Amino acid sequence: MRERTFAPSRILIYLIVLLIAAAWLAPLAVVVLNSLRSNEEIAQGSMIGWPQHWAWSNYVAAWSGFCVAETCAGIRPYMLNSALVTIPATIFSTLLGAVAGYAVSLWRFRGDTWIYGIVTLGLFLPQQMRLLPWTIVLRDIGLINTLAGLVLIHTIQGLSFTTLFCRNYYVAIPHELIRAARIDGAGFFRIFWRIILPLSPPILIVTVIWQFTHIWNEFLYGVTFTSGQQQPVTAALIALSAAVADIPQHGVQSAAVIIAALPTLLIYLLGGKYFVRGLTAGAVK
Amino acid sequence: MSNAAAIRPGRPALPEWVRRLPEYLMIWVPLLLSAAHLVSFSLWTIWISFTPSTLIPVSGWVGLRNYSAVAASRNWQIAFDNLLLFGSAFVLLSLVTGLALAILLDQRIRGENVLRSVFLYPLAVSFVVTGTVWSWLLNPGLGIQKLVHDLGWTSFKFDWLIDRDMAIWTIVIAAIWQSSGFAMALFLAGLRSVDTDIIKAAQIDGAGPIRIYRRIILPSLWPITITVVVIQLQFAISTFDLVRALTNGGPGIATQLPALVVYDLMFQRSLLGRGAAAAVLMLLILLAVLLPYAAWRYVQRRRAAHA
Amino acid sequence: MPITTTRRRLLAGSAAALALPAFARAQGAVKPRLTAISQWSAGSDGAAITALGKKFEEKGGVWQHSPVPGFTTEMMNKLRAQIMAGDPPACSQLKGPEIAAWSKIAPTVDLDAVVAAAGYEKVVAPDLAKLHKPGGKWIALPLQIYSTNMLFLSKRAMDKAKADKVPVTWADFNDLADKMKAGGVPYPVANGGTRPDDGQKFEAALAGISPLAYRAAIMKLEKKALEGPEIKAAFAQVRKIADWMDPNVGAQHFSTNLKRFVDGDMGMMIMGGWAQGVLRNAGFKFEDFIIAPGPSDNSKPVFLLNADAFIFWQRKEPDLQAGQTLMAQLVMDPAIQTMYSQITGSIPVRTDVDLSGEGWSDGQRRTAAALKDAIASNQAVLSLAHNMAQENGMTAAMIDVITEYVKNKTIKPEQAATRLAEAVEGAR
Repeated sequence: MRERTFAPSRILIYLIVLLIAAAWLAPLAVVVLNSLRSNEEIAQGSMIGWPQHWAWSNYVAAWSGFCVAETCAGIRPYMLNSALVTIPATIFSTLLGAVAGYAVSLWRFRGDTWIYGIVTLGLFLPQQMRLLPWTIVLRDIGLINTLAGLVLIHTIQGLSFTTLFCRNYYVAIPHELIRAARIDGAGFFRIFWRIILPLSPPILIVTVIWQFTHIWNEFLYGVTFTSGQQQPVTAALIALSAAVADIPQHGVQSAAVIIAALPTLLIYLLGGKYFVRGLTAGAVK
Repeated sequence: MSNAAAIRPGRPALPEWVRRLPEYLMIWVPLLLSAAHLVSFSLWTIWISFTPSTLIPVSGWVGLRNYSAVAASRNWQIAFDNLLLFGSAFVLLSLVTGLALAILLDQRIRGENVLRSVFLYPLAVSFVVTGTVWSWLLNPGLGIQKLVHDLGWTSFKFDWLIDRDMAIWTIVIAAIWQSSGFAMALFLAGLRSVDTDIIKAAQIDGAGPIRIYRRIILPSLWPITITVVVIQLQFAISTFDLVRALTNGGPGIATQLPALVVYDLMFQRSLLGRGAAAAVLMLLILLAVLLPYAAWRYVQRRRAAHA
Repeated sequence: MPITTTRRRLLAGSAAALALPAFARAQGAVKPRLTAISQWSAGSDGAAITALGKKFEEKGGVWQHSPVPGFTTEMMNKLRAQIMAGDPPACSQLKGPEIAAWSKIAPTVDLDAVVAAAGYEKVVAPDLAKLHKPGGKWIALPLQIYSTNMLFLSKRAMDKAKADKVPVTWADFNDLADKMKAGGVPYPVANGGTRPDDGQKFEAALAGISPLAYRAAIMKLEKKALEGPEIKAAFAQVRKIADWMDPNVGAQHFSTNLKRFVDGDMGMMIMGGWAQGVLRNAGFKFEDFIIAPGPSDNSKPVFLLNADAFIFWQRKEPDLQAGQTLMAQLVMDPAIQTMYSQITGSIPVRTDVDLSGEGWSDGQRRTAAALKDAIASNQAVLSLAHNMAQENGMTAAMIDVITEYVKNKTIKPEQAATRLAEAVEGAR
């Protein structure tokens, strides 16, 4: 079944795969094409179309030109803000989730099933519901309108996913390995550092990809808990999609979308292979 | 490290709990914070659902009035029906799509890396953006239908986006596009971890590829299927940005979903109490789905322990 | 709302027609500063508020504007978070009855003295003024006005229909639509498909049929008026309009179809005055279309008011207080309103601004004239679709019914009227 020949059945498989791939790429193609059409061209024509004049200037405007109210610096400063939230939150939630997953799966302590169950339930709690409670929490600890507040939110919320996936991954590690290390006198951290962490890259890549893309693309908390110059990149993108009373700047917006999506797209392109490999070893339990 | 020090004789041993304090902190603080925020936020929402809160949270007691108002509203009724339809259709179809893509990619085809990226990339892009693009592609006057008409097939019709009864399916389509890559990755992982020896043995016995898939490979994917269902279910229940950008609940109010109703009540209509009631109802729906799953897991584990 | 006596005295002082910067300098201390939240971030909205900020800085102030891009809801989330944190902005965008609702959750600034000093009250439409002084005191100031029921006519569609008369009543409108259809205009009514879009069609129909009924049913929510024949007639008119629209529009923004409108594939557009700015920004010419007041059965213009405004939140910091006074003076200033409206395509709130000069379009002049006439005949009413007539919860409940009716042709006008009355009861 897996030999490599060019029988009609193989050609059929390629045909199907390529057709689906084309369908999957269609939305991206629309955005890429629009990113090369001027705002006027889109407004005077259709939302979907081939560029009549290649408007490369959209990219210049998107990167460093367009204005969000008084600030005319394009998407650049907002990219930086998003990075300042996304990178630490991704690292913290991944590391803490790894430790928690390791503890829950290999150390077993009293109440572990309960607390693990509650934490994973967090995957299902809609974020619209958490907006006001977070407002109160951030107010009480004085982190409203700070990027640190956003990092905190995303770290704690991210734990649900990272703990779940790390636990599922670590469950597969033979208990004998741990037992032997404990007999040799190794403690909790030493075992984590020496045995668990070296085994972890596949699952850590999964959680890093997941966390990074989710936090990077988040909008609701990003605009509510920041002000002015600290807003995330999604806010700048939305600013371009216009109010009722104005014409959407689709050309520049599309270019900005492409630029803003580059970090997450790159992560998927580079990490996609490990993603599957990590899942192979991990979430399959 | 501390353990090693403790066994060494001749040194005053610290009490066990002090020695292990750092690890306790590392384990418990993040987990407790996470659990505490989930429990307290849920309790807070339940409390608010019984108060007359509007713009901001206030105390007071209105009994079940918020619940009856939500349950009686057309928006919620439509949203509830839609969630059942959308949830089951989406979970099922994304399972099928993901599995199909995984099996196709598992045929040792060239360019697997590129194709895998193609199916995964929608996960990387925000729905605020892709939802808008889908609203153009699916719009009969702008997208696919117009394209086919321009190609000369003028009787072609694909106007689900503006059809009250079919509009919810456009959300299914866009959601499948976005997330079946994840299902594919999981299934691909499953396919790759099937024991090749068993397959070889079956081949020697003269089993054809279809038979091998049906008898050996697919049954071994069962545990992954559960994971995929749980993840996709979570996706279905929290679907928000997509609908907001694609149909904004329309045509009319035909594609409302609970997450949309919660946000709309809480923040757009400034009816916090009612919004909280809708959120609690949503959590109850969730429990209705998750409890059977938890029970199933429990029974399974018990059985495994007995075996 | 309560305010300190010193501040009242300060305001009284500035009421003596002192220019504030000079006044502040005389006090020797504070440089006015303003923290502001609005959703105006891009396009002409963003440009206009930026220009306002420049003026604020020219007068010696420190301008700290924090735009919240996206829907009004996100802007309100931000405002709510700031209020709950005890740190409201010195001023924020808010409009219509929401001003009264929000003023209950945090103390606002009493602007009566500055408003009186500027003689502002007599140049503002009475219904509009009321919205900005809940409880009798000015706490918010309107900034610019749009009419939501302007009628845009495509010249090319008019040519196809061989018509040159601008419709005045709904009967004229229906006649012209029929003629356009006969003359080969596929869709005599141009449209978007958003919720406010659908709402605008209904409010234009009802206010055009009877401004009195509109006032009673929509603004005052009188039960009898809600069950009256005018509501049914309005729904019947909306059905006609819906039948002339392109059903394929879905939930698209109205600007999606501007090209088809200009090309004469779509004939008439009932849209807010902002559409002329959008048409202009999209690169179309004024010769391509005509702007007129929306249909009115008694032939006198009916004006559906939509006004953006700023609400002022109480702050203790002297520099913010000085900033609020300066901002209030700027917002009421005819020159500033002129500058603002010329950027966005709206008309000034002040009815005494002369629009005959350079920089104003015919559309704006006609809108301003319509407002004056409408006020004179008591036919200036508040827009439902743009959250001017009712609080957001009530508005949304009513728009639910309207948008469902527009999109679902099996619903009868009588049914829709009943549902509307029920929705109002449910949301009370």
